[in-house]
This record gives sequence, C-alpha cells and structure tokens, in this order.
Amino acid sequence: MEGIHEEVIKPTALKIAAEIKTLTSYKTMYGDLQKIASSPSVKKDEFKQTLHQAMKDHGLETKFRNSVYHLIRTHNKQSKDPVALLNKASNQWEKRIHKSLNSMCTDLETSLAKTRPQSEQEELLEKWNELSTYNLDLSKYRPVYAPKDFLEVLLTLSGYAPYTREDEPKWEFAHLPLQVKTLDQLRKVFPEWSNGEPLLGVNPNMPSSVPGFATLEAERISLGERVAVLGYAPVVQEYLKKGSPQCLRAKLWSQVLGSEIKPAETEYFSQLKKDVLEIDLMIDKLIFKDVQLTASNDDQYFVFEDLLYQVMLCFSRDSQVMEILKNSIGNPPTVTIKGKQTSAESITVFPPSGIIPFHGFSMYATPFCYLYDDPAQLYYTFRSFYIRYWHRLHYISTHSQGIVSLCLLYERLLEANEPLLWIHFRNININPIRVVFKWLMRAFSGHLPPDQLLLLWDAILGYDCLEILPLLALAILSFRKENIFQVNTIQNVDAVLADLSTISVIPLLQLALMKS
Amino acid sequence: MNQDAKKIANSLYGRVNAPAVERCRVNFCTDLEKSVLMSNFERRAWNQVGPDDEWNFYWASTQTCRNLFSVESGYRMNDNQIINHFPNHYELSRKDLLVKNIKRYRKELEREGNPLAEKAEVALHGGQVVTRYVHLDFVPVTFVLPADYNMFVEEYRKSPQSTWIMKPCGKSQGTGIFLINKLSKLKKWSREAKTPFHPQLTKESYVISRYIDNPLLIGGKKFDLRLYVLVTSFRPLKAYLFQLGFCRFCTVKYDTSVTELDNMYVHLTNVSVQKHGGDYNNIHGGKMTVQNLRLYLEGTQGRAVTEKLFAAMQWLIVHSLKAVSSVMANDRHCFECYGYDIIIDNQLKPWLVEVNASPSLTSTTVNDRILKYKLIDNMLSVVLPPDGVPDVRWNKIPNAEAMGNFDLLIDEELIEKEEPSGHSRVLKTKYK
Repeated sequence: MEGIHEEVIKPTALKIAAEIKTLTSYKTMYGDLQKIASSPSVKKDEFKQTLHQAMKDHGLETKFRNSVYHLIRTHNKQSKDPVALLNKASNQWEKRIHKSLNSMCTDLETSLAKTRPQSEQEELLEKWNELSTYNLDLSKYRPVYAPKDFLEVLLTLSGYAPYTREDEPKWEFAHLPLQVKTLDQLRKVFPEWSNGEPLLGVNPNMPSSVPGFATLEAERISLGERVAVLGYAPVVQEYLKKGSPQCLRAKLWSQVLGSEIKPAETEYFSQLKKDVLEIDLMIDKLIFKDVQLTASNDDQYFVFEDLLYQVMLCFSRDSQVMEILKNSIGNPPTVTIKGKQTSAESITVFPPSGIIPFHGFSMYATPFCYLYDDPAQLYYTFRSFYIRYWHRLHYISTHSQGIVSLCLLYERLLEANEPLLWIHFRNININPIRVVFKWLMRAFSGHLPPDQLLLLWDAILGYDCLEILPLLALAILSFRKENIFQVNTIQNVDAVLADLSTISVIPLLQLALMKS
Repeated sequence: MNQDAKKIANSLYGRVNAPAVERCRVNFCTDLEKSVLMSNFERRAWNQVGPDDEWNFYWASTQTCRNLFSVESGYRMNDNQIINHFPNHYELSRKDLLVKNIKRYRKELEREGNPLAEKAEVALHGGQVVTRYVHLDFVPVTFVLPADYNMFVEEYRKSPQSTWIMKPCGKSQGTGIFLINKLSKLKKWSREAKTPFHPQLTKESYVISRYIDNPLLIGGKKFDLRLYVLVTSFRPLKAYLFQLGFCRFCTVKYDTSVTELDNMYVHLTNVSVQKHGGDYNNIHGGKMTVQNLRLYLEGTQGRAVTEKLFAAMQWLIVHSLKAVSSVMANDRHCFECYGYDIIIDNQLKPWLVEVNASPSLTSTTVNDRILKYKLIDNMLSVVLPPDGVPDVRWNKIPNAEAMGNFDLLIDEELIEKEEPSGHSRVLKTKYK
C-alpha cells in the first residue's frame, strides 16, 4: 500500500518542490536550512532523522508546511471561466469601465498616467503620514461605478443565458446554469454552527464546558494562544471556525493568510510607496475621493483615514496582485506615462494592480485598522484577503464564490426558506436582491459595527468561503420580516434595513443554520 | 451582589415590575428643554410643571440647585422630590477644588498608614527622580495660581523642559486655556493679567498642570475620553459607570513642536473648540465609541494591557469620588451625573483631566443623540424606585434590569453588608 501511495504522491511532490524553488522566500528558507544542516545537532550518519528533528526545533518545519499549504491553495483557483457565457458580459462591462475612465480624463483635461513633478513628489512625501492634509481638488471626480451600477449589469446577465423556465420574471438569477447549495447543504459546510456548538460572539459570559475555564472566551483565548505559537496555517484555519478573540485575531489572520511580514515585504511595500510618489495616476484621485466619501465620514473609521490613503494608494501600484489574479480580473489597459522618455518603462498597466476601485472599495480594507497599527502589516493582510476573496465580489464570474453565484444563492435561500417574504417582494414588485446587494458586494463592511464584522470575517477565513454572506443577508431579512411586511416601497424596505448596529451576527447565523 | 440587591428591592416593594397603569403621575420641572431630556419625560408620560408648583423631579441648573438648598430660600423638599445636582458639586467639578480634595484625601490615607497611599520614586522624562503615589497618582501634578506660585516654581525647576497647561478654574469647554513651556511666559501672563486693562483676570484663579505631552495617539491624532458617572449617594458611596462613553478626537495631527504650542486644534479635544476647525466633520463629529477604542486596543496591543487600562479608569473614578465624599453635602434628594474627562498616555495610563457636573446634552450627531437619550433613560431608571415615583426613603439599590447600560462601580452599602469588617476588600480585589 505504502508503495502505491508513494507512487501517486511523488509527481505532485516533485511539482511542488519545483514550485517552491520559484518562491521569493525560497532563498532565505534554503539559507536557513543550510545553517541548520551544518549545526552540530545534525549527525552525518543519521542525517535524515536528525535534520528533521533540527528543523522542527527551529520552527522551520512549520514554515515549510505553511508554504506547501499556501501553494496548494493557490492551485485550486480556476483558470479562465469554464462557462464562456459570462465572459462576454464581463468583457463588455470592463470596456464600459475603461471608456468611462477615459472620458473622465478627457473631461478633466488630465491623463491617466503622468510623471509627478519634483515639487509635488516632495509635498506628497512630506505629508505621507497625514495625507488628509494633502490638498486636492476632487470636486469634479466621481467614482467610476457604485454597487447599484454593478447590480444593473448583473441583472442583465440572464439575457446571456437561454431561458429555461417561462414562468419566472426576467430579473432573476435563476436562469443562469449555476449550481448553488441549499440550506441543508450549507448546514453540512458549517457543521460546528449547525450542531449548536458554542461559538464566540454569542454571549460574552457564556460558560466554558472545559474544566478550569470560567468562560468560553477564556477557554478560546488559552487555546488560541497555543494555536498561534504553533503557527500552522491549517490548524489556525480550523480554530477560526468558532471565532477568534480580538486580542489574537491580528496574529491568527496573518498566519492563516501567510501575510506575516519579513524584511522583503517591508522593502516591497516601500517600493510601492516610491512608485506612488513618482508616477501620478488618475486613479489616485479616485482613491482619495473614495476614502473621503466612505471612511472619512464613518464614525467607526474616520480615525484611520490617513492609514487608509497609504494602503489604498500602494495597493493600486502592486503588480503582484494582477499577476496572481490574471485569470480572474480581465485585461487592464496599458497606457503611456506622459512626461517620460519613450522606452519600455514609459508604458504602464493601468493601474499596475489591474484593479479599478468602485465607490466603497476602501471598505474592503477599513476593518483591518482595528487589528494593525503598522501600514505594511495592514497592507499585506488586506491584500491577501482581497486576493483570496474580495475580488470575487466585484468581478463577473461563474465561480461558486463569485458575486453571481452568491446572488443566486441568496435568491434561492429566500425563496425556499422565507416563501412569504419572497411573495411579499413579488407583490410589491421589488427585486429582493436590490435590498441586500450592497451588503454582499462590500462583505458587510461599513454596514455592521466592526466587532461584529470581524467575527463574520473569522468565519469566512475559517470555512474558506463567502457563502456566509448571502446566508447572513437572509438571516437579517428573516429577523426583520415583520417590519418588511408592513412596507411596500423600496425606500421603506431600505429604511427597515438601514441600521444594522443592533445585529448580533453569530447568534443570528447559528439560528439560521441550526435545524428548528 | 445583584442577587442581594434584588432580594432587598423585592422585600421592600413586593413587585419589581409595577404595571404602568398603577403608577401615579410624576410631575417634573426642568430648567433645560433639551430634546433628549424632554423626549424621555414624554415617553414616561410625566407632567411638566413650573418650579413653584409641586414637582417630584427637577432637572435643574447648578445655580437653581444651589439656590434651592441655600438657607435664604427656606425651601424644604418632601420625600417624593428629587433633583439632579448635589448643592456643592463644585468640590468635584471645580478644577482647583478637585485637586485640593484629592491632595487632602491622599494625605489622610497616608496618615492612617493605609497601603493605598504607598509612595515610590519614579523617573521623569528628563531623568529626574521624583516621589509619587503608586496607586493614587491619577491627576497630573497641579497647582492653583496665584496661591501656589512658589510651590509651582519649585516643581517647575525639577524638569524645566516640560510643558504646562493653564486653565481658568471656573470656566469650561476649553475657554481661556493655554500652554506654557517657559517660566518667562507665565511671568508675562501674570504681569498682563494685573494691568488695569484686564481687571477681570486678576479676580480669577487658574490651575496649572503638567501637560500630558505623551498622549496615546490613534491614527496620529490625540483624543480624550468622555465617560459618564452617575452618583446617587456619597455616604455611603453609590456610583455607576455608563458603558457608552466616547473618545473625542482632535482634527489635526498631534505635534509637540513649539510652533504648534499655540494651535489649540492640536491640543484641545473639546468639541466646542474642534467645531471651529476647518476639518470638523458633521457626520461623526470627531467622536468614536469607547467600545471601539477597546476593540482597537485589544486588537493592536493585546488583552492584558487593555483590561488593565479600563480597570485603572474605574479605579480613578472611584477614588476621585471617595476624595470628595466626606465634604459633599450628601442630601438624599440629590443625584448627579458627571462627565469625566480622561486622557490616556502612550504608556496606557489614564489621567483625570476634569469632572463636569453638567455634561452637555446637546447632540452633535445622530449617534450622539442616541447615546444621550439612552444616558437619560438609564439614569432615570437607576435613580427612581421600581414603581417609578421619586421616593427618598427608597434604599437606592436598583434591580439588575433597571441598570440598562450602567455598570455598578461601587456601592459601599452593599460592600458593608457582604463584608462587615474589612470595608474596602471588594474594591481591592476588583480593581487591583
């Protein structure tokens, strides 16, 4: 048996070994390994065994294991969308965005990319830590698109698919040939929740079932501290399923995402900053505008305004983002940088990250301000989250975690589990996706208070899926249904759902997942 | 403790949740027609009357309260009347008196040989070693001017590079405050203050305090905390802390450079000051909740230091109240809600800046309005006996449901009941 096992595993192992060699961190890892191999604890005659032991003792084993874990995880991402039908829609939407950017440039008589004059560079550098005082006239800049624009596009998608059922209104996602889970299937994805196991975020004084601990929180902190010391990503992920205490979250999140920073990352981050200083991209103004329109006006996040400018500006320059996501985010245009001598360097992808922000884009980063003081550490965790999850929420794809599937999942869940609400929405002629779409697209950031939001995002990491978002949308609607039944216009439904400050995410979700 | 409180309340009143219909109507009188007050009175279906009528509940200005209690007025309250101030609240709310009372309190404890008054040597920023109280060092070193001028100069010489803040004793909301980093500037001020052109300044006394020049910054900005504390009795001390305080942020980055010493937008967090800054935001008003401060500190600095900070703030409040409890006119018709202003330094040590006996009930934002509405609502339910009618014969032990967002800080009567011998045992275990 063992022989066969070896046979099967060998090609994969060789492939991974080859890939590890291409990682940026490989050089330091190899160097560390060489140092250990030449240390006295490694014996020549028992080389394999003693080396392995020494690797364990020096924490190198966990590092290797985590590298393999993160490599394998990236393998799972899909190559180009298998269902071609949404490609056309996606391409057209992308073209519209590019056209809109170009016409904004023409209207404002500016260019997409130009070199930044020396004086401006100096001012920007001087004010880098307080960019809120950097004076820009943004009155004429408008976000390229808002969640509701994106929703309009998604609602036309069924036009790209052949009709299967005559009796359904055109706007439903149900026409799309996508598979989504039922509530019962979701219960199997979240067994800890559906079995009613004790979770953090239900009640701060919930007693612990483990002897020696007064509360569940104390028990989770003690366990979490051990998990954090171990630092093995799959274990951390498992731990996050039942929620992390706030005091350990920063560490655990960066462990599960592999976003801990080392000197190489700090250096790369300062290179991004340098890129911002040198080249003036039109998108910078959009980023400033977005932070101003959202975080600066939000009583949960205004304090962190200056941190967010830095992080979002650097993100736009990060070509690694585009490299990693190249199959999922379309084809960003290349533009000539005005003011540069014509050469290979005078052309840039616009923007280098390939990501064009929409109204509220900064909200993907704001909650991390409650975890990290250091802009570089904040940056890497935010970036990893974006690469793993958030890009799926604003690009059209048929991925099971993509926004289209999530919308369809919400629709199906509502129809199957809250039929009266479903009928009510039909009767008042409101598409039920309209009242929750902004929650889904922003993963509830800016809608839930930060403590609740962080618990929700624990679950996203723990179960490594976004299906919790439509489920929460359903749970909130269901919780407020008596009030929704009382109203019949979209404005009033929105009003019923506007304030989520009293929502307790975990009990609501657990209630939805537990069988009645 | 709460169980006990409930039992007592039950045995006294027999019915904790009195049906609303049986309540007799409460007559209220108010000097202040703020909407957060009026909507609370309305919701309780109270009846508004004038100050000369038979009121049960008076939301008075501090001046009215002092007048009512003055010997000349000859007003005598009956058992069904309560009022929202203690007649000599200024023992706590005047900056000079607060400091005087705290100094006296520490001396008394020291004389008794109380371990709370333990002293130790600490090194200042400049390297000088000074002696400070270990557990009761929660107000910055402060002197009253002109009275303590010589003592101030002596302290000043110990660390001549530190900055001092001058505040008029009787003013609030940041008026008349300025910073000093040279003795010459103070001398200049005192000369000017004595000129015939400013006769009003000579009458007024000032406090001068060591300026907390290492405040904790969040997002590079300085902030202070506004916490609400409700006192229903000083002897025995009964005090409650409102969970929903907030941080008030300066709109401008913190900057200790001398050139910014006169820029009050950098140094003062008062909303009344910040409102005039160009960067004031009407949506959040520069305010962040204390819950979010806690979330941020736990996330970035860890749990142990965060818990310690919050425990230290409770400790500070309790001992500032104990410092005045012996001098307060403990009239049983009175209760009072204090606005505590606290600054946290970058070592996560809280400092008491001042106490306000009439914290603003003006709402600057929507969330502010919700918070202040709840504050009044919860306050009313704590100060009123379970049947909702003011009654000074009530033992002032509210049941758990009546507490709302208030947490019990201290109730000496309950401590006494639990532990007849060692009177401060509960506090020690709770706050140390």
